[in-house]
Amino acid sequence: MDYLKLAKDVVSQAVEWGVEAEAYINVGQNTEINVDRGEVEKLSQAGAKGLGVRVIRDGKGGSARHSGARLGYAYTSDFSANSIRRTIEAAVTLAEVADGDVYRSLPEPQPAPDEELDIYDQALVDLPIERKVEMAKQLERVALGYDKRIVLTNPCMLLSQVGTVAIANSKGIAGSYDKSFIGGFLMAMAADENDRSMAFGFGFGSRLADFAPAEVGEDAARKAVGMLGGKPVPTQRATVVYSPLAATSVLGALSRAVGADALQRNRSFLKDKIGQPVAADMVSVLDNGRLPGGIATRPFDDEGVPTAATRLIDEGVLQTALYDHYTATRDGAASSTGNASRGSHASIPGLDASNFYFQPGLQTPEEVIAGVERGLYVESVMNTASINPISGDYSISAKGYWIENGALSYAVNEVTIALPMQELLQNIKAIGNDLTFVPMMGALGSPTIRVDGVMIGGSG
Amino acid sequence: MLPTESIRRVLDTALQNGGDLAEVYLENTERLSLTLDEGRLEQATQGNDIGGGVRVFYDNSAAYAYTDDLGEEALLEAATAAAAAARGANGIRVCADLTKRKSPVIFQVKRPFERMSTQEKAGVLRQMDEVTRRHSPHIVSVQCGYSETRRRVWIYNSEGVWAEDDRSFLEFRGQVTAQKGDVRQSSATGIGGQIGLEFFDDRDPVQMMPEAADTALLMLDARPAPAGEMPVVITNGWGGVLFHEACGHCMEADFVTKGASAYAGLVGEKVGPDFLTAIDDGTIPGRRGTMRFDDEGTPTKRTVLIENGILQEYMWDLTEARRVGRGSTGNGRRQSFRHMPMPRMTNTFIDAGPHDPEEIIRSVKKGLYAKKLGGGQVEIGRGDYVFTVTEGWLIEDGKLTAPVRGATLVGNGPETLRQIDMIGTDPALDPGRGMCGKIQWARVSVGQPTVRAPKLTVGGTE
Repeated sequence: MDYLKLAKDVVSQAVEWGVEAEAYINVGQNTEINVDRGEVEKLSQAGAKGLGVRVIRDGKGGSARHSGARLGYAYTSDFSANSIRRTIEAAVTLAEVADGDVYRSLPEPQPAPDEELDIYDQALVDLPIERKVEMAKQLERVALGYDKRIVLTNPCMLLSQVGTVAIANSKGIAGSYDKSFIGGFLMAMAADENDRSMAFGFGFGSRLADFAPAEVGEDAARKAVGMLGGKPVPTQRATVVYSPLAATSVLGALSRAVGADALQRNRSFLKDKIGQPVAADMVSVLDNGRLPGGIATRPFDDEGVPTAATRLIDEGVLQTALYDHYTATRDGAASSTGNASRGSHASIPGLDASNFYFQPGLQTPEEVIAGVERGLYVESVMNTASINPISGDYSISAKGYWIENGALSYAVNEVTIALPMQELLQNIKAIGNDLTFVPMMGALGSPTIRVDGVMIGGSG
Repeated sequence: MLPTESIRRVLDTALQNGGDLAEVYLENTERLSLTLDEGRLEQATQGNDIGGGVRVFYDNSAAYAYTDDLGEEALLEAATAAAAAARGANGIRVCADLTKRKSPVIFQVKRPFERMSTQEKAGVLRQMDEVTRRHSPHIVSVQCGYSETRRRVWIYNSEGVWAEDDRSFLEFRGQVTAQKGDVRQSSATGIGGQIGLEFFDDRDPVQMMPEAADTALLMLDARPAPAGEMPVVITNGWGGVLFHEACGHCMEADFVTKGASAYAGLVGEKVGPDFLTAIDDGTIPGRRGTMRFDDEGTPTKRTVLIENGILQEYMWDLTEARRVGRGSTGNGRRQSFRHMPMPRMTNTFIDAGPHDPEEIIRSVKKGLYAKKLGGGQVEIGRGDYVFTVTEGWLIEDGKLTAPVRGATLVGNGPETLRQIDMIGTDPALDPGRGMCGKIQWARVSVGQPTVRAPKLTVGGTE
C-alpha cells in the first residue's frame, strides 16, 4: 500500500473542513521472542498500523478564549474510509474546544540534504523467523555458558521491527521513509552461596550487521558475576566514575532541560543560561538526528521537518536549545532543529532529543579509572526517571565497584549517588573515548565520565 | 463483537497444528485527553484502538499473533500465524462450548463520560489552573490534564471460557512549578479511579492543586536531605508504593517459577513482623487495578500475600499457573492487544497494624518522614529498590522540624520488610493515579497505613 498517498488523501479530505491539516502514518511489522532455558517461551508477531490527524483552525470567532490558531488531534488504527472520516471529524471538533495560540501552525516544506542515513536494512526484512529464534537463544546460551554462577536469564528477549513512516500536511510537506531495527536484551542472574546479582545486557542497531548477540550475552554475564557480594560503602563525598550506561542518567534529564518547551515555560534548571558556562570546559553535548545508522536517525522529524546536527553545549557553554516547529515559531529568532517527536500515532508531536550524546574525549576508560585514587565506579543505576530537569535535583541508586589506587576492587551496591545537576555538570573531570549509545528516549550516548564531589549515601 | 461461531472457528484454526490451549482476546479502547498549560487549553486528543490477539499454548511455550482488524478473516489469519509457530506440539484439540462467565465483581459506572461536554471538562481544568495561579506569586508554571479511557475486552478460550469486561478510567493530573531566584521546585499530583462522572459527586480535582502548590513552595526553602542510614516513617496511602516496588514485584509468579525472585520458595516462611498482613485485591469497586475478569478471562479475587508475617501466596497468570499445574489468581494483565499477558499486581496494600500513627512519629529521635513519594523501581532478582521522596521532613525528638528536598530511599525489599517495626492503624489507598511499568504499563492501586522502618539508607546531598 502507498502510505504517502493515503496521508495526502487524508489531508485533502481534512482541508475541506476549512482547516490546516497534517496526517501521520506509522506502519510496522514487529517480532518479539522470549527465550527461557533454551526454549522459546513467548513468540509474538504482527503487523501494526496507526494514523494520527492534527488539524489547526484559525482562531476567529468560536469559543476561543485566546486569539490565534487552535489545535485538535485524533487517531485511529482502522484505515477504512468510514473510520478516517470519523477521525478527521473528531480532530476538527476538538479544535473548537482548544484555546487559540498565535504561534501554532504547521511547518512549511524545507530542502533536505540528500544523504544516505543507513536506517533501513533489507537483510533485516528478509531475516527468517528461525534465524531470529536462533539469535535469541544465542543471547541466553552465551550468558549461561560464561560462568557456572550464571543461573538464569530473565527476561531474554529479541525484538525486530521494520516499518514505514509517512507524513503529509496542507502546507505541502509530503514524505516517507522506511526504517528497520533489531535489538536484544537480557537480565543475567548470577548466584553463589551468599548472594545473587542481576545485570542488564543490551545490543541493537538499524542494520543486522550492527547486532552481535554473543557480545550482549557475555556483557550481561560478566557484570552479574562481578557484582556478586556487593555491599554498601560508608556515606561520604567522593569521586564517581560512570560507565557509559550509568552516565546516560545525566543525559536523560539534560535532554529535557535543553528542550525549548521547558525553557520557554520556565520548567528547566537551564532557563536563561544560553551563552553561559553550564558545564566543565571539556564538556560538549550534541544532538544529531542524521547520525548514520543511529537508532534515532531519520530524514525528517515527526512533523516533517528535516533533522539536523545541533551542538547544544560547546566546551561547557550552553549554545542553543532543541526546537520543534512550535517552539521555534514562538522563539521568533530560532528555527526548528528537527526534534518534533511522538511516542506513537496516538500522540500529538512533542519535543524530544534524537541521538543525544557527550562528545567523546581521548582517554581510554581504563585511563579514566586509573586517574582516581579512591572513588566509586558506577556500573548501573536505577530510578533515573526521578531526576528532575526543572529543579536539577539528582539522587538515584547505584551499584558497581569501589576504586582503590586507580583500579577496581570490591563490588558495591545499595548506595545512592546525589548531586544537583548544576554542580554535576561543572564537576566533570574526565571524559573517555568509549562513546556508547543506549536505546532510551531516542538514543542517549555517553563515554565513561568522571565526576568529583558526588554525595554517596550508604552505610552509617 | 463477533458471533460465537466465528470465535470457535478462530480457536479451532489456532489449534490446527496442536497445542494445549488457544485463546482469543478482543479489545476496543476509546480515549479522550485534554491538557491545559500556561492557562491555555492546548491539546485535545481523541482516538480509539481496536484489535485482537490469538494465543496458542504448547508445553511451556506460547505463540501470539495480533491484528488491528476485528473481522473474522483477520483473526483467522492471526490464528494461522500463531498455529504455525506452535507446529509440532502434542495433541490436537477442538474448542469446547463457549459459556459466558459471571464475575463476582459487581459495580457499574453510574454516569458515562459522554454526559458531560468536552467544554465542561476543559472548564474543570481552567478552574484548577486559576486556583493554583492565585495561590502564590511564586508559582511560575501550572500544567493540568484530564483523561478518560473506556476499555472493553472480550476473552474466549478453547476450554469454553467466554468473559467480558468494561473498564472506565477517569483521571485528573496537575504539575506545579514554583520559583524564587534561580531555585525552581516542582510538584505533581493526581486523582482518579475506575469510575464515571459520579466521580464529581464526592471528589474535587480543583482542591488537590493548592496542596501540590504548597509542596513546591515548601521545597523552595527546604534544606538538602541528609545522606546515610536512619529511621524512616512512610506516609499512609500512596506510601504503599514501597511495598509494591520492594516486595510486590518479587511475588509476581513469572520471576518466582524461574527461581529469579527473592521470595521464590518462601511460602510458609516468616518474611515480616507478626502484625504485617499484605493483600492483592482485584475486586475492590472503583479502583484502578480492579477487573471483573483479568485479561485472560480469569475472575479476579482477593489474594492474601502475607498473613501475620508469613508468606502465603504469589500472584499468578495462566502461563505461570500452567507451568506448575495450578490455577491462576486472576493477575494476568496486558497493556493492550499488542501485548502478551504477564502476572501483574492489581490493588496491592498493607493492612492495618496496631500502632497509633502519631505515636510512630513521636517514637523517632532523629530520622526522616516521607510525606509524599514519587515513583520507584526494583531489581526483582535481589529485591533491591529505590524510590523518590518528593516531600520529606526531618524528624527530631519525635517532631517534624524541617522540610528537606532531594531525598531518595534505597534498600533491599525483603530486608526492609523484615525490619519494619511499627505499622499504623490508619490504612488508606492512594488517590488513584498509580501506573506501573514492567515492560508493559498497567494501572494499579497501592496502599498502606503509616509504617516505620528503623534503618533505611537515605540518599541526600548533605
